[in-house]
Amino acid sequence: MKLAFSDEHEKLRQDIRAYIGELMTDELKDELSHDFKGEGGGPIWKECMRKMGRDGWIGLGWPKEYGGMEKGAMEQYIFFAEVAKAGFPFPFLTSESVGPALAAFGDESLKSEVIPKILSGETNICIGYSEPGAGTDLASLKTRAVKGDDGYYTINGQKMWTSLAEFADYIWLAAKTGNEEEKGKHGSISMFLIPMDTPGISITPVYTLGSVRTNATYLQDVRVHESRLVGAENGGWQVIMSQLNRERLALVSHGPSCGLFQKVCQYAAETNLPNGERLIDQPWVKMNLAQARQGFEAIKLICYKQAWAIATTGNLDMAEASSAKIFGSEFLIEAARGMLEVLGYASTMHMRSEHNILAGEFERLYRTLSILTFGGGTNEIQRDIISIFGLSMPRPLRA
Amino acid sequence: MDFTITEEQQDIQSLANQILTDQVTPETLHAYDDRNNERYDGRLWSQLADSGLLGITIDADKGGMGFSFNELSLFLEECGRVLAPVPALPTLVSAMAVQKFGNDELQAMLGGVVSGEVVLTAAIEEPGNQDAYAPTCTVSNGQLNGIKQGVAYVNQATRLLVVANESDKVGLYVVDPKDASIASTALWSTTFEPQAHLTFSNTPAEKIGGQEAVTYLLQHYTVAMCAYQVGACEQMVKLTSTYTSEREQFGVKIATFQAVGHRTANCYIDAKCLKLVTQQAVSILAEGGDAALAVNVAKAWCGDASHRISYAAQHLHGGMGVDRDYSLWRYALWAKQNELLLGHTTYHLEQLGDAIAAGDFDIDA
Repeated sequence: MKLAFSDEHEKLRQDIRAYIGELMTDELKDELSHDFKGEGGGPIWKECMRKMGRDGWIGLGWPKEYGGMEKGAMEQYIFFAEVAKAGFPFPFLTSESVGPALAAFGDESLKSEVIPKILSGETNICIGYSEPGAGTDLASLKTRAVKGDDGYYTINGQKMWTSLAEFADYIWLAAKTGNEEEKGKHGSISMFLIPMDTPGISITPVYTLGSVRTNATYLQDVRVHESRLVGAENGGWQVIMSQLNRERLALVSHGPSCGLFQKVCQYAAETNLPNGERLIDQPWVKMNLAQARQGFEAIKLICYKQAWAIATTGNLDMAEASSAKIFGSEFLIEAARGMLEVLGYASTMHMRSEHNILAGEFERLYRTLSILTFGGGTNEIQRDIISIFGLSMPRPLRA
Repeated sequence: MDFTITEEQQDIQSLANQILTDQVTPETLHAYDDRNNERYDGRLWSQLADSGLLGITIDADKGGMGFSFNELSLFLEECGRVLAPVPALPTLVSAMAVQKFGNDELQAMLGGVVSGEVVLTAAIEEPGNQDAYAPTCTVSNGQLNGIKQGVAYVNQATRLLVVANESDKVGLYVVDPKDASIASTALWSTTFEPQAHLTFSNTPAEKIGGQEAVTYLLQHYTVAMCAYQVGACEQMVKLTSTYTSEREQFGVKIATFQAVGHRTANCYIDAKCLKLVTQQAVSILAEGGDAALAVNVAKAWCGDASHRISYAAQHLHGGMGVDRDYSLWRYALWAKQNELLLGHTTYHLEQLGDAIAAGDFDIDA
């Protein structure tokens, strides 16, 4: 037990921090400050992704055969957390969540086609799980893939909340392939990884509270070869669970929280009140910041423990991943409230407004937080997972 | 970042767990309720000594195992899991301070700690003063004056460590608790732990260290208490998940109601967070690093998690939670005592806020 960075990891952290600092140019920040562009996809952001790929960072923890650097999962997490801390919108679902699930379940040709492109920063993947009628009860999804004699599936259906689809190269798609009555709700689902330019796929935008664009994605007679299956036919549920477990860690990485905390502290230390006292010396400010730090310290340790668990066993404990997701999301909402209090009324000015503070980041922040408690599996389902798998309690009743 | 529990550490956990769960049951603890008997199980204390556990952190040349604070914290977790009626925490934390700062006479007592013959304790809290680092007790010319409250296991103790001021400098002193100059009043503590209110009047006191020794003792004591509460909190969560998985209402186990499962899940998360921040503080102390901030974080969590888990566990047990024939009620007592001892959550957040205002902005540093 030694809960501190080794010298080597500390150096890595500093190196990554310096590297990302150079990447976060004013031009990039300007590109990201437009509504519905904050998650990337613009030309400068794309070039940054390719540069990070060329310089070996995205594949830091990945095996050499895919073009990775073959460091461990801890190094990969340190990279990811530092990038997030700097405020770079890293498309973590692609490299930290879908990527590992693809590596675990995909066949060789699919892996060798896609993973090197992920690690070189050239490919983005959007996720096609939710549907208009299937959210928390994901296994009730209706999109259907019917296999023909020629080895091609024909897929029809509609997906919702397919974020990043507007610049994604692939969709990670869940569809029904089996007979539900015969194989059950969960045993009739398959996973596909399909190029977005396949004929029959179209998207329409959905603009959200947090200035984040997401999409509705339509699939009409989309023909997909069986080589695009990830895992066995009707074996998709296991793939989904593996991907979601990783997503939970990535969703609540301590990186962004720590970055925001640092900015608020810095601001409060450099800002004087009319009476000449520093903002940060006010007792209520210190209390707000201390309460934020109390929780962020726990989130940091939860995340490091999970990265350590992946590095040493290759696995995540389900109840612990759910704990990270619940506490990380719910605490961040409260801590952000306390930090916005410290910044005061001026923190409500938009990123593109005159006279905003901290580049308007907190005005956007509070609008983006609500998705964390339901995205990636609602916190109610996470609490069910804890009671079932962490506490061995009987499964909750469902109507 | 290494969260590994080594095989040796697992052995310590299972040895302690085996002895403690064998010897400490709701029935044996019942003997101490309402102060019918002094809450000190001498037989269990000897058994822990025979197993070697009392020598965990004491050097091998004094008969101990020579392990670090990491291992002691695991033993104290197990003590907290059963609320063991022995002075393990005050004795073994004081022994660590004695081993690091004590004179030859005190060092010679450490063999007695290992064999169970010597109990040590520490006088830290003062009435009307919530900052243990700024005591009102004073020493001059080798004589101690002032008041300490809620001092544990004074009757059993061979020596007493006292935090006091001398010429406006804080120091750690050693006192013979049997000295005639000490007026001792036995208290009725909320946990039934034997505690005394001590008034020192020109009591002979020998200095064993200054600021560094005081910080060492108080930080280790505080984090040891967090470790004790990790065990106590985990046990409250376990009792709750077990009870609600058996109790039936409306024809079903009440654990199948999401309202019940989810509140228990909240307790699980609180217990996990407390464990992690405690491990962080333990690990820094074991490495001899600057632990001040990690200690504040751990004790703030100790207060919050103990409070929330205790009341949630009580609630989810219904009447069983408060029934003195069932075991849960005693955990509520220790949750509150350890929440308030050595700085409550708000005190530690205030300290943490001062550290942040002084420039501690980087959570990863």
